[in-house]
Formats: sequence, C-alpha cells, structure tokens
Amino acid sequence: MAVIQTQNVAKQYNGQYVLKGISLTIEPGQIIGYIGPNGAGKSTTIKILSGILDEFEGEASVLGMDVRKQALDIKQYIGYIPENAALYEVLTPMEYLRFAGRLYGMGENDILHKSTELLRLFKLSENAEQRMNGFSKGMKQKVLLISGLMHNPQIIFLDEPLSGLDANAVILVKEILLQLKQSGKTIFYSSHIMDVVEKLSDRIIIINQGEIIADGSFEDLRKLGDTGSLEKIFTSLTGSTGHGSTAGEFIDILSH
Amino acid sequence: MNKLLIKIFRLLKPLFRKADPDFEKIMIILETKLTMDNRRVNMSWRNSNQKQNSNQLTRVLIIYTIFGLMIGFIVLFATDFKTIMVLFHSYVLFMMAMILVTDFSSVLLDTTDNQIILSKPVSSKTLFLARTFHIMVYLFQFTVAIGIGSWMFSFYRFGFITGVALIGTTFLTVLLAVFITYFLYLALMRFASEQKIREIISWFQIFMTILFSFSYQVLPRLVNFVDIRESISLQWYAYLLPPVWMAVSLEAIQNLQFDGTHLSMIALAVAVPIAGFWVLNKYLAPGFSSRLAALQQSTDTRKELTSNVTQKKNLAEKMSSWVNSNAIERAAFQLTWYITGRDRNFKMQFYPALGYLLVFFFIFLFKNQQSAAENLARLKDTSSYLGLIYLPVFLTSTAYSLLPYNEHFQASWIYHSTPLKKPGSVIIGAIKSVVVKYFIPAYLILFFISLWFWGGRILFDFVFGIFNNLFCFVIIIFFSEHFLPFSRQPATKQQAGRFARSLLQLLMIGILVGFHYLLLKHHWILMAMIPILFTGAWLILRSIGNLAWKKIAV
Repeated sequence: MAVIQTQNVAKQYNGQYVLKGISLTIEPGQIIGYIGPNGAGKSTTIKILSGILDEFEGEASVLGMDVRKQALDIKQYIGYIPENAALYEVLTPMEYLRFAGRLYGMGENDILHKSTELLRLFKLSENAEQRMNGFSKGMKQKVLLISGLMHNPQIIFLDEPLSGLDANAVILVKEILLQLKQSGKTIFYSSHIMDVVEKLSDRIIIINQGEIIADGSFEDLRKLGDTGSLEKIFTSLTGSTGHGSTAGEFIDILSH
Repeated sequence: MNKLLIKIFRLLKPLFRKADPDFEKIMIILETKLTMDNRRVNMSWRNSNQKQNSNQLTRVLIIYTIFGLMIGFIVLFATDFKTIMVLFHSYVLFMMAMILVTDFSSVLLDTTDNQIILSKPVSSKTLFLARTFHIMVYLFQFTVAIGIGSWMFSFYRFGFITGVALIGTTFLTVLLAVFITYFLYLALMRFASEQKIREIISWFQIFMTILFSFSYQVLPRLVNFVDIRESISLQWYAYLLPPVWMAVSLEAIQNLQFDGTHLSMIALAVAVPIAGFWVLNKYLAPGFSSRLAALQQSTDTRKELTSNVTQKKNLAEKMSSWVNSNAIERAAFQLTWYITGRDRNFKMQFYPALGYLLVFFFIFLFKNQQSAAENLARLKDTSSYLGLIYLPVFLTSTAYSLLPYNEHFQASWIYHSTPLKKPGSVIIGAIKSVVVKYFIPAYLILFFISLWFWGGRILFDFVFGIFNNLFCFVIIIFFSEHFLPFSRQPATKQQAGRFARSLLQLLMIGILVGFHYLLLKHHWILMAMIPILFTGAWLILRSIGNLAWKKIAV
C-alpha cells in the first residue's frame, strides 16, 4: 500500500500557483529525493503532506489518512525537519527535546533516555544544558534532527537536513537515513546537494515551477538525456544552463 | 507568579474533556513559552544576556497600578454606586482591549513557531488556546495592577462581599475584552481570503483601536445615569453595554435586590463571556492555524514586480539624498523606510498608534455632554489645536521605539561586518527616516486642518511646535539606550509594556501642551526659544551621530 498518495495537488498564493497539480504515489521503505530550484514548490509540498497547510486543491493522503481531515493523526506518525534551524534558541537542547517529545505524547522517561543518548551520538552531551543561541548552525541542525526523529516516525520529511553540518555529521546522517530506510521507514528528502540525493535516493523527483518534470531512479533519469551526474541532469531539465558564462560575467563585473 | 498562574490554569482541566483541544499540550506550550519569556529579554545578534529578567514587567505593572489608582479614587469618592461601577468596568474593558490590540496582537498572530509547533500533533484549537493562555498570564497580572486600588477601596467602602464580587466582575470583564478582540480577529481570519488577511490586518488594527477608543469615550456618554440609578426598567440599549451588566449585578449583590432586571443582568454578566469563549473555540479557532500558516507563506508578488520595474529614484531615495549628509545615514534612512513599510510585525505594532492619532483628533468633538456641533462652535474660540501640534511626536516616538525589534534581528551582522566607524550615523539615518516618513506628513495634515478650522492665528504656534516637537523627540532618544535599527529580538515582555509606554508618552505630550499654553500670550518668548531649540536639537543630533561602538547596546 502506498504511504503517500497525492492527486492533482495545487496551491496558490495571491492568485499565483506555486504547485500546479502534483500527483504522487510513494511506496514504503524508500528514500525519495525531492529536488528543484528555489521557489519550485518543494517546501510547500512538504508542508501540505505533513499537515501544516490544509488549504490546497486536489487530494492528498499519508498512511491512508486524509491530510485535510486527519492531519493530527498523521503528525503522530511523521517526523518533519524544516529547512531553517527553526527551534527555540533560548532553550537548552534538553529543554527543547523535552518540549518536542511531550507534544508527540512521549513519556518523560522515554524522552530523557532518547534525548540523552541521541545527543551523545551527535557529540552534544557537553552542550545538553546550554542555551542554543550560541550554537553553530550545524549544532542546531543536529538538535532539530533529533527532535523530528525521537518519536520514531513512520515517514520522515526532511527539508535540507544536511545544511550546516560538518563532514563527519553529514556521513553520520547519511548512514542514519540508510538504516532508517532498511528498517522500513519512508524518507521524503528535499535537498540542493545533488551528490547526496544521487547516492541516497531510490527514486528522484524533480520539480520545477510547481510541476513534476522528471520522476524515477537515477538510472531512469540518465536515460532522459544527459548521461552525467544528477547535477548535470538537473541543470539540463530545469533549463539552468550556462553557469560557466554567468560566472565569467560575474568576475568581469567585479573587476570593472 | 507564573507558577501560581499555571496552577490556576490547571484547575480548568475538567473543562477540557475532549481530546481536542488537548489540555496537556496547551500547558506544555504555555510552560515553554513562559520559560522563554523569562530568558529572551536581552537578545541581539552579538550578545545574549542570559539573566532571568523581570524588571521590564515590574515597571509596566507599576505604571498600570498608578493608572488603576486614578480610577480607584472614583470608587473611593464618587457618590452613586452604579455610576462608579459603570465607569470602572468601562475603564477595565477599554484598557484590556487596547492592551490586547497594541501589545499582544503579534503574540496571537505570531508565525515564527509555525514550523516548530504545527508540525507536531497539535491542533489549531490547541495552539489557539495555548496562545490565549499565554496572553492571559500577562493580562491577569495587568488586571490585578489596574484593579487593586479599586478593589481595596471597594472592600473599605462597600464591604467584603461586594469587594469579592467586584474582583469577579473585573475578571469577567477581562474575559469579555479578550472575547470581543479575538472574535473580531478570528472572524476576519475566518472569512477573509488568505491574501486579503495580509493586506488588511494592519488596517483592521487601526479600525479596532478606533472602535474601542470610541466605545470608551462615547458609550458612557450614551448611558443615562439617571435611568441607570433607577434601574427598575432600563432602556433597551443598557442590555448591550457590558459595564452596565456588571454594575447592575454588583448592585444586586450590594443591596440584595434580585428582581427580573437584576437577575437578567447577572445572567448576561456571567453567561456572555463564557458563551463567547465557547463560540470562539467551537466555530472560529479551527481555521486559525492554517490561516496563520498562510500569513507566513504568501508572497507579495505585486511588490516584487514594482521593485523590478522601478528604474528611476523612488521617494525614499530622493528624500534620503536630500536630508542626509553621508552614505551611512542614507543607507540607514532607506533601510528604515523600506522595512517599516514592509514588515508585517512592525505595522501590526505601529498602526494602533496611528489609530490613537485619529481617536484623539475626534475626541475634541465629544469633549463634554454638548452636541458635536456645539463643541465645534466652542472649539473655534479655544486653543485646542495645541493638542494637535504635539500628536505627531507621539506617533514618531512610537515608531522609533519599535525600530530596534525585528524577527530577523540576526541580519544585523551586517553592521558588524562592514567597516562602520560611527554607528551613530546609522541611528541618525533612522531618526531622520521616521521624522520624514511619519512626523512631517502627520504634522502637515494637522496643520492644514487646523488652518482651515482656526485660521491664521495658529501659524506661529505650529512653527514653534516643529522645533519644540523635534527637540523633545531627540532629547528622548538621547537619554534612552541606543540600539541599531532591526538588531534586537522581539520579546513578549517588551511588547507587554507598549500600551503603558504610549500612555506615558501621552502624559509627556500633556506637559508639552501645558508649557506651550503658558507661553501662548508671549510670542516673543516663543520666538526667542526657536533658535535655542534648533541649536539644542542640532547639537544633540551631532552628539548621537558621533556615538562610538561602546555606546551602542549590542
């Protein structure tokens, strides 16, 4: 059974469509790479699927539940890690994770155990009781990752999860995502970092100007035209070519 | 105090039997928000003062206690019981509604934690009630501060039972103020389209400021106090006036009078605030969170288009090149001009002040029991235009006091990463920007209206007023802590004092008007003062412009 199903999902702001009829069927236990240029509609799709936005056109269901009618039930089974390190920085990681865990309905002991252990794995034990306003972007991102995963969700929506992480943390997160997939979780992964998407994803969906323009495995996408890396396929499909000449022009303007 | 209030809120748990709204989640969000309020006082890009600070709130509470004592003296000395109570409850209703619109609109309509809270299993109703409880924590403290004088005098004058009942009706009035304000907000959010909400919410706040201020000024005048004193058969409109419900209910308790009129008033006093919350929760709160998400999401494509096509200099650029002496000032001038015009939070906090300006202008027409026409005729012979001369400085200093606070305060790294020798220049640019953008237009409008109404005799006073206004404005800035524009994190506790500060500013304007009034007949003194005020303002501005980094609060 599909864990995510959408039919002609569209969303408009101020009369302009940012999503123009997205139809998706996603099977469990996959990593889905959801990529597109800025403003393509990636975050809006994720917000609709995770029940944050309920005013849209078309139909969407997650785990067989209607996104509009059963958003609250859906949220219990999903983890959402937003694009920016959106957390309450005046709290300590332990306080923030306790807050998030309690909103997910987790028991106090469970929260304490998981927070302590997961912070230790991310090498944040020493910072567990410090307020996060002095944290680096990567440290905040780690806390955010823990807060979205600690309740052991079935589906994980990640919006740029590797942003700001150091090299070791990136490797760790990639490994975590692979093992989560192996344990049957579905991961809906939006990112700009093409080589990670290329290596991790079972299926890659490219969205541009609110429409899906390519959908398939990396091998399938290579057949569409460019035979190089995902980055090359992406730029040729989204029409973002000519970067070399733009860069040259940039340098030219700087030096005159 | 917060712990005590949380315990009081926990007593409400039996009222929340259903899963939605989820009482436990409301309390989790509330506790977290209160912890954050205690910590968030001194946040900036470079520095975070981590002391638990409650001085700000204490100061505001003291101000409200003083304002409360003023109405308290009516309770102590006025003769007719019901008149006293109508006035007291009108005052509480007005104060609370204004505090809600001025200080807490941005807390209710906060979109910054949408991603944090709405992504968790938290329903729209739960989030709405958590925010309401959060605001109520502060309203509860303000109510005690405003009411304590009147309560004590009431215990002393009318006895224990009436004193206790008065505390009860005070809180019912607060609930009613919350209900009326929220009802208007939620109805707007429910029935206006997503893009319309963004466009009209600030104007809607001006409308609410005017509505509440007019209600406070006009409704007590509508009440026929003779009729109220009789109260055997009240006029029909008395049933529409909450302060009358409360006053007549208290009379029933005071005199043990429980006839039909009194019982119906008691029923209204108790049932309407409670039923109001039920309606809010049942019909209006469900759409709240998605509309909030929409507030954050929508992009204003119209503005993007205009900025793309504008090739020639716009008004901000033109003004900035005329009034500023260096590039830093010009940059700060334009930044302030653009952000104050576009930032939703700024507008949400500033527009109520614009509302006051209109309200105070029209209050002249209803100054006493005479008709508007009689008032107008009488006004021509007075010097009431002095009040108008000093209103623009109120508007400008309100705008300036809001400048340091911005959601994206971290963007202020730019001040620190650029070779900015004299940060004072940034402050000067910001000052000039609010003066050009808010002071001058408001002053000109009031000048032309006054010229039309009072004739040429106002001319000299308006000329003197410019210098007096600007001198006072820069002197307030000079003695305040210096912040760079948009460099501080907004915090609930700081917002909580805005209405109190507005009242203090109005007092200051009263002093200015008094000073000007005393010298009204001595034009030569005013004339002699103009160069002194001008030189004083210029010297102060120069001193602010030379402020070094160590004088700037970061």
